[in-house]
Amino acid sequence: MYYFDHSATTPLLPEVSELMDHVNKDIYGNPSSIYSIGRKSRSIIENARKQIAESISAKSEQIIFTSGGTEANNQVFWSLINKEKNHVVSNVIEHPAVIRVLEFLENLGLDHDLVGVRKDGIISVDDITEAIKPETCLISLMLANNEIGTLQPVEEIVSIAKERDVLVHTDAVQCLGKIKVDVSSLGVDFLSLSAHKFYGPKGIGILYVKKPENFSSLIIGGGQEKNLRAGTENISAIAGMGLAAETITKSLDKKTSSLIKFEQQLKNGLNRFFKNTIYNGNQSKKLPGLVNISFPGNRSGIIMKKLDRADIAVSNGSACGSGDIKPSPILSSIGLDDSINLSTLRFSFGSSNTSQQVDYLLNELESILIEK
Amino acid sequence: MSRIIIGMSGGVDSAVAASILIEKGYDVEAIFMKNWEEDSEYCTSEQDYMDALQVCDKLNIPLHSVNFSKEYWDRVFQYFLEEYKNGRTPNPDVLCNNEIKFKEFLNYAIELGADKIATGHYVRSDDQNGKVKLLKGLDHDKDQSYFLYGLNQRQISSAFFPIGDQIKSKVRKKAEELGFDNHGKKDSVGICFIGERNIKDFLKQYLPANPGEIVTLDGLNIGQHDGLMYYTIGQRKGLGIGGGHTDIDGAWYVIDKDLNNNELIVGQGHNNAALYHKYIKASKLHWISGDSPNNERLNAKIRHRANDTPCQIKDMNKENITIEFEKSCFGIAPGQSVVFYDGEICLGGAIIDSYSN
Repeated sequence: MYYFDHSATTPLLPEVSELMDHVNKDIYGNPSSIYSIGRKSRSIIENARKQIAESISAKSEQIIFTSGGTEANNQVFWSLINKEKNHVVSNVIEHPAVIRVLEFLENLGLDHDLVGVRKDGIISVDDITEAIKPETCLISLMLANNEIGTLQPVEEIVSIAKERDVLVHTDAVQCLGKIKVDVSSLGVDFLSLSAHKFYGPKGIGILYVKKPENFSSLIIGGGQEKNLRAGTENISAIAGMGLAAETITKSLDKKTSSLIKFEQQLKNGLNRFFKNTIYNGNQSKKLPGLVNISFPGNRSGIIMKKLDRADIAVSNGSACGSGDIKPSPILSSIGLDDSINLSTLRFSFGSSNTSQQVDYLLNELESILIEK
Repeated sequence: MSRIIIGMSGGVDSAVAASILIEKGYDVEAIFMKNWEEDSEYCTSEQDYMDALQVCDKLNIPLHSVNFSKEYWDRVFQYFLEEYKNGRTPNPDVLCNNEIKFKEFLNYAIELGADKIATGHYVRSDDQNGKVKLLKGLDHDKDQSYFLYGLNQRQISSAFFPIGDQIKSKVRKKAEELGFDNHGKKDSVGICFIGERNIKDFLKQYLPANPGEIVTLDGLNIGQHDGLMYYTIGQRKGLGIGGGHTDIDGAWYVIDKDLNNNELIVGQGHNNAALYHKYIKASKLHWISGDSPNNERLNAKIRHRANDTPCQIKDMNKENITIEFEKSCFGIAPGQSVVFYDGEICLGGAIIDSYSN
């Protein structure tokens, strides 16, 4: 398998998989139980909480375990229902796990405005500032976009928001393991992460909450997570996420430089045989190792399927249930017409890649694009 | 080894068709086609795709997806609405085969490196001396040649129909033996994009309804219709009028639509002479062989489920045809296709414009 779709999901780190096997097999106690095996489960969870907190420079008590980024986002937005201020500012390049939630919550009285995006794939600070109203309670701005990788001005937005007593949420699921994620320097009030994007298991994630004492639960039931997320904890997934976060953060510099190397290798290689590529989004302000490329005159669906035959995985836009391919709304929003839009592929490199693999990818791409 | 790309719908027919091709030793890949969008810009994962995936998993073949909903909307659905607006009863499945499955899908598959495509249609093809013929499916009850009469030589010779010589019950049995979850899935009936929905409710979303009078052949006003587009000539149910307005026994049938006066013309009894006609004028004439047949005496079907009826070509040019039936035909609906046969061979067809005696 030649896997170049790490922005969709990542394989488990071997040590994470091992740890999870062990926890699954041996540590079955309910973490809320007070006897030894329950306490063992509890300490695994709290250790993982510390690991993930440290990886984003947060305090343990600011971490809520959720089922993933989507639930984390939901918890933030649902917590705003029935509050005095009822307006959210977000933008058109957010993931459906933000936009669709906001659309839905309109029925429950939470209004929102989505600001547009500049042609380079970056949201303008001025546009967000202008969209703030007296009723605005929250700005939600992703740390980096999932399709084109562009980094968003979250820090600047936080300083503007603070002046106006507005909270800031950032969906950072694409970022851990690719760039530094530091909640204290970002200054955000909420941050969502999903373990499977950083070599941890699927179905687990976190919500960072700066002031958990003022926050409310989305899932109601038992008193787990200090009443902020009911339901018996998924111990092995939490343990796996903790270890993945710690491992990936420790080796961040090495990771980043190899991501940049693979990206450059791809760009240089393409430049040899396919001159009119279009690199979407600001190429100097984006996640390393995520490249979104249009191949004018080609159909991405065809390229993808031919690559699939060669056991190569890449994607176009957001993956979806029925394998359906249609123009990406994000690429449309940065001004790509439908035909360019549908000629676009996203390559996202990761820990499982080698430069031999990138060479193989280039060979296959060359034969597909040139054969035509 | 030739590469065959099969259109995989998630239904039992294309699933078994794929398995037959694999047994014959072809290199088989599948494509799931999405031709209809339900509202949002976000993607929906559908049961049909999941069924197709389960089948491809069992068969260990790749499943690709492609979206032709824009092409379908522009070239099939717009025509469908236009025909309804004109009081006719279109057959979008005929057009879907011509424009989507055997044009867009075919070209896409070839771009993907297929030597041929395959579909799960109940038809057969027969290649003789460089001319390819389209034959009815061996299971006459399931025969789908009516929907494929618009294909040309290139389209038919580019395609395999692996279940054309199979009986439906055996196809289901085979699907069960192969462990396909869809083996008991209901056959799709009616128009694909409307599915299980009520066609009246569906049309209402796209076309303004224009209610008017229901009038008997004698000019008696006996009720209200909801809009002429909702009715098809020969239709009995759903008129909202009981029997017994006159002495003639029997239920009411739609006999004609008067678009100028927005009146639905009805008559009583299945044997009502006004429902039977000897002549059909049709346009958009197409012959599968590329040439008109030598024989003027043919069989014709005026709708998918109709029997073959002997007829004679009275007048014909490249585009238009007039035929005379041996015996008058019931419920001829403009917009539907008249499809011609010589025994098992599907010769071609045209779209019905008018009828007369």
